[in-house]
Amino acid sequence: MNAPLAGAGAERSEGVWHAAWRRFKSDRVGLVCAVIVIAFLLLIVVAALGGVAKDWQREVGVANAPPTFLGPRPAEAIGVIEVPKGPNVDLSAVDPLAPRYKEWEERAAKFKTAETVKAETLPMGADRLGRDVLAKAVKGTQISVFVGVMAAIVATAIGTLLGAFAGFFGGKVGDFLEWLYNVFEAIPGILLIFAFAAVLGRGIGTVVLILGLTGWTGLYRQVRAEFIKHRNREYVRAAEAIGASVWSRIFSHILPNVSHVVLVRMSLLVVGFIKAEVILSYLGLGVGIDDVSWGTMLAEAQSELILGHWWQLAAATAFMAVFVTAFSLMADALRDALDPKLRGLE
Amino acid sequence: MLLRIQDLHVAFRMGKVGGVVQRAEAVKGVSFDIAENRTVALVGESGSGKSVTAMSILNLLPDNAERSGKILWLGRDLLHTPMSELQKLRGREIACVFQDPMTSLNPVFTVGDQLIEPLVKHMGLAKKAALERAEALLVEVGMPEPKRRLAAYPHELSGGQQQRVMIAMALACEPKLLIADEPTTALDVTIQRQILELIAALQRKHRMSVLFISHDLGVVGEIADEVLVMRHGVIREQGPVAQIFTAPKDPYTQALLACRPSLEGNPARLMVIDDHIAQQATAPRAVAQAVAKDPSAPVVLEVRSLAKSFWLKQGLFGKREFKAVQGVDFKLRRGHTLGVVGESGSGKTTMGLTLLRLHEPTHGEVIFDGQDLLRLSASERQVMRRRIQIVFQNPYASLNPRFTIGQTLVEPMAIHQIGASTTEREQRARALLERVGLDGSAFGKYPHEFSGGQRQRIAIARALTLSPEVLVLDEAVSALDVSVQAQVLNLLRDLQDELGLSYVFISHDLAVVRFISDEVLVMKDGIVVEQASTEQILAAPREEYTQRLLAAIPRGYVSTP
Amino acid sequence: MAAYLIRRLWQMVPTLLGVVLLVFFLFKYFGGDPAEILGGLNATPEQIAAIRQQLGLDQSVWVQLGIYFKGILAFDWGKSWATNEAVSSLFATRLPATLTVMLPILILDALLALPIAMWVAYRRGSLTDRLIMVISTVALSISFLVYIIVGQYLFGFQLGWFPVQGWSDSVWTNLATYVPLPVLLALMVGLAPQTRLYRSFFLDEMGQDYVRTARAKGLTENTVMFKHVLRNAMIPILTNIGLALPGVFVGSFLIEVFFSIPGLGREVLLAVNRSDYPVIQAVTVYLAVITMVINLTVDVLFKLVDPRVVLK
Repeated sequence: MNAPLAGAGAERSEGVWHAAWRRFKSDRVGLVCAVIVIAFLLLIVVAALGGVAKDWQREVGVANAPPTFLGPRPAEAIGVIEVPKGPNVDLSAVDPLAPRYKEWEERAAKFKTAETVKAETLPMGADRLGRDVLAKAVKGTQISVFVGVMAAIVATAIGTLLGAFAGFFGGKVGDFLEWLYNVFEAIPGILLIFAFAAVLGRGIGTVVLILGLTGWTGLYRQVRAEFIKHRNREYVRAAEAIGASVWSRIFSHILPNVSHVVLVRMSLLVVGFIKAEVILSYLGLGVGIDDVSWGTMLAEAQSELILGHWWQLAAATAFMAVFVTAFSLMADALRDALDPKLRGLE
Repeated sequence: MLLRIQDLHVAFRMGKVGGVVQRAEAVKGVSFDIAENRTVALVGESGSGKSVTAMSILNLLPDNAERSGKILWLGRDLLHTPMSELQKLRGREIACVFQDPMTSLNPVFTVGDQLIEPLVKHMGLAKKAALERAEALLVEVGMPEPKRRLAAYPHELSGGQQQRVMIAMALACEPKLLIADEPTTALDVTIQRQILELIAALQRKHRMSVLFISHDLGVVGEIADEVLVMRHGVIREQGPVAQIFTAPKDPYTQALLACRPSLEGNPARLMVIDDHIAQQATAPRAVAQAVAKDPSAPVVLEVRSLAKSFWLKQGLFGKREFKAVQGVDFKLRRGHTLGVVGESGSGKTTMGLTLLRLHEPTHGEVIFDGQDLLRLSASERQVMRRRIQIVFQNPYASLNPRFTIGQTLVEPMAIHQIGASTTEREQRARALLERVGLDGSAFGKYPHEFSGGQRQRIAIARALTLSPEVLVLDEAVSALDVSVQAQVLNLLRDLQDELGLSYVFISHDLAVVRFISDEVLVMKDGIVVEQASTEQILAAPREEYTQRLLAAIPRGYVSTP
Repeated sequence: MAAYLIRRLWQMVPTLLGVVLLVFFLFKYFGGDPAEILGGLNATPEQIAAIRQQLGLDQSVWVQLGIYFKGILAFDWGKSWATNEAVSSLFATRLPATLTVMLPILILDALLALPIAMWVAYRRGSLTDRLIMVISTVALSISFLVYIIVGQYLFGFQLGWFPVQGWSDSVWTNLATYVPLPVLLALMVGLAPQTRLYRSFFLDEMGQDYVRTARAKGLTENTVMFKHVLRNAMIPILTNIGLALPGVFVGSFLIEVFFSIPGLGREVLLAVNRSDYPVIQAVTVYLAVITMVINLTVDVLFKLVDPRVVLK
């Protein structure tokens, strides 16, 4: 049941990554999703540099302005006091402050008041304070994805390093790390996050730290298992036999053979952390008060929904759904490309 | 005629490239017959298509397999039989025994539960009656304490016992044909002999036909009536066993027979299949005999009372000592080869690894060039690593899949500062590749592009980069096909003659050890059972275990006068 | 067996120690000053100092640690700073509510995911399989929040099928009236990933050698799937459920917040917002103990499921 071995001379030599890239390219779904993800990432970079959605906090629309395609809300007649027309009545005869009118007029002339015309409709509508939902969604994407990716990087770094040491050395080092892992695992995840959040407060950096410090356990377990599996493999024994140092064996020999597992796991972490950040921000434990993320948008959206204003909810959900779906499918395609055995039969 | 296979083709769908379905052809037009009460053997190396042929009879292939041709069982074409009909046939008229009994048995059901399944399904027996019959079956296959075994789980049995269960399961409904797919390959040599004799006895008793698949001509020669030799999906030769062994017609068959290291004769080189096929065109040469080694060569490695124990957890806080190696002594002379023979669990591999301090020994001395290897400091050990090296068993695991061959070969040189510059090291690496019979272009390639035999050569080249004096070969040819094995063994012999290397050759295969070793060490359960020169061990083994080992080796076909 | 249990219980001690130390030092060095929190915004420095002395905060770290330990061992969890309710009574009253919601979710999730996963694994590669995979991926990408917000709005507010929020004192009223909507929403979110996971377990088992042996014995595909494959796949499935059990006790705080269910999760959330340290600390330690006990129980019971397990 073996496929015939490709002629050793005919094929160009390719390593694991080249072969994976080739397989990835042939998966159309994965490719489309990768393009979408890259587009999002570009958008994020532009937003971070201030090119887009910089003024998301400005109240450019009327409160709860509907999206453009719905048309402006009909003017509400109730509770609006009519502004009287005609010039002001002259009270200079009775007003004790009359002599100072001139002085004040001169001073007032020095100031400029900008009359901002509040827009009746915005592309994706406005929120309760009249802020542009589209701008918020873009900025929120930047923050939520940034937090998710950074937290994933932190968790991956911790988990990989600790897992490598625990798996390779075993013995006392392994026992200590296992104890550390058990301590973190014994506490249910959300509880741990809450405990950290209670003491560290809110803010983007804090959220990254919290998620990173509480989310490394799954990766640790997997990397440790892989290292235990590999450290007795013959190529590692051979490396020891020729005199390779411990460092070299861990990082030059075994780690490259484990990196695809780490990569797949990290992509799962990104998705998980983005969703965790959304929930944390919703609860007020995530990003700071002056920041916007998908979570804060959802927090506002809840009360808006009762009034029938659904556009902020829709915008946040749409951006999040598109990005996370594309990212998940791309990660699936990546995993299939890295391990052809997992591919279903065609 | 029970089974007629006519022009069978089997191909596997391997996915689509550019919209075109890719297929890998495993069997390309195979035809043969199996009559009643006959043992037919299907022999071939890995990739020859023998297992695929056998599995396609009952359609036990994976979903992406496509069969065409005719498979006639008592006149009925099995290729066009609906699945429900085929299921009535399976286990009842045609039964199977597979290679790896540990994974072929369901781990969560007891032996009894699995044994009664075919009885209940095909014979309609009630559970109690089926269990009684199952017990009788276990007795028939020679299982000790059959009643107890019925309630046992597969993992509680040894490999040999598991295979007996598989055989009992296959015999349950008294099938007309038994398909045995490499049933003894995963077992130790002595157990292998027991299972072979069991199958032969059962065949005679039940007048059952057996389709026996194997890569080992020695095994096949002992039990088969007819032999079919396959290579690359086609049958090269088929005929009665006597004819195949004494007067083979096809060059591949002849080569296969010739390149087995045997217990008789003392050739200098083993025949290699391609050489043999090419050579048949010209007149066959006489095989050169091996030159005897100098018995008074200086001792290069001396081992005294080497022992290694492992500690296992037991009870609440206690530890139990597992003595893997207990008190091994030997002397290795320059240019000689010491063969270390034993079955699995004998401690031979542990001993080999301990020599290089890949396991830390519990006790003993290893004297190399006046220094005790086991008492060296870290820096001295690093220097010593250059002089004694190792080649491992599994060619698919001993090279780092992420390193190019060049990186693998240059690394040891870089660590030990051999060669003045990277260019010089690369040159050395390329030269070594050619020395072991590979093209210099292999330098930039990855291990997965090479076959098992080629990877083993690369592993040998890596060991040689440091110009060692002693090479430990831990089952270095055990995972290779017979012809590839011959090539690597010849290479090892050549290198020994040319470079004056000394080998510690660990293996379970006495025939291979016989070819390459000058002295032999027999190990069992960590102890040296017997130690003598190769001739002496083979001609007059003193210990009972050594005699048993020798007797267990399949001899191939021996014509009865 | 007894030796195994003793050894496992003995091994729990360092872990528990670690948890207690982690919680203690986390709150001590990173948290705000308890005295200031308790004193409130308008407390005078004298009042704060008095509180500090009362809490024993003016003593050395080791003494404080000792006091903390003693409290844990005596099962005196302290009182909530916000409500002055004893934390232990907090547990007793809140836990039942959490379990009333979480246990149905756990059970229904597994019961529904199993047959779907088996069916999907059997038809691996077909259009149905791929469609379900895509649907589940999209479903997973939408935050649980959205499901709850929309679900609550749609089913509770607009359609009026279920009450939007609420809880009662009787278990049966709860199960009949207030639990269905949260459970429905949780299932909508949780079913997709569970099915995918179970599907991968089934696929793994279907590729094993013993499946070929079973076929070779002439067993029908149904027997092979429902007897041989299912029995083996139950091992990782039950492991998975066992791992999810500790989470049941914390509950889904989101559900409890949205539906005003007085459960443990919501209590912890309130405690976080009010900086109510005793509650958070106690819940953390308490749940760590529960997690370890549950893990031990699952490990011991596992021998019934997987005969290969050796408890040493």
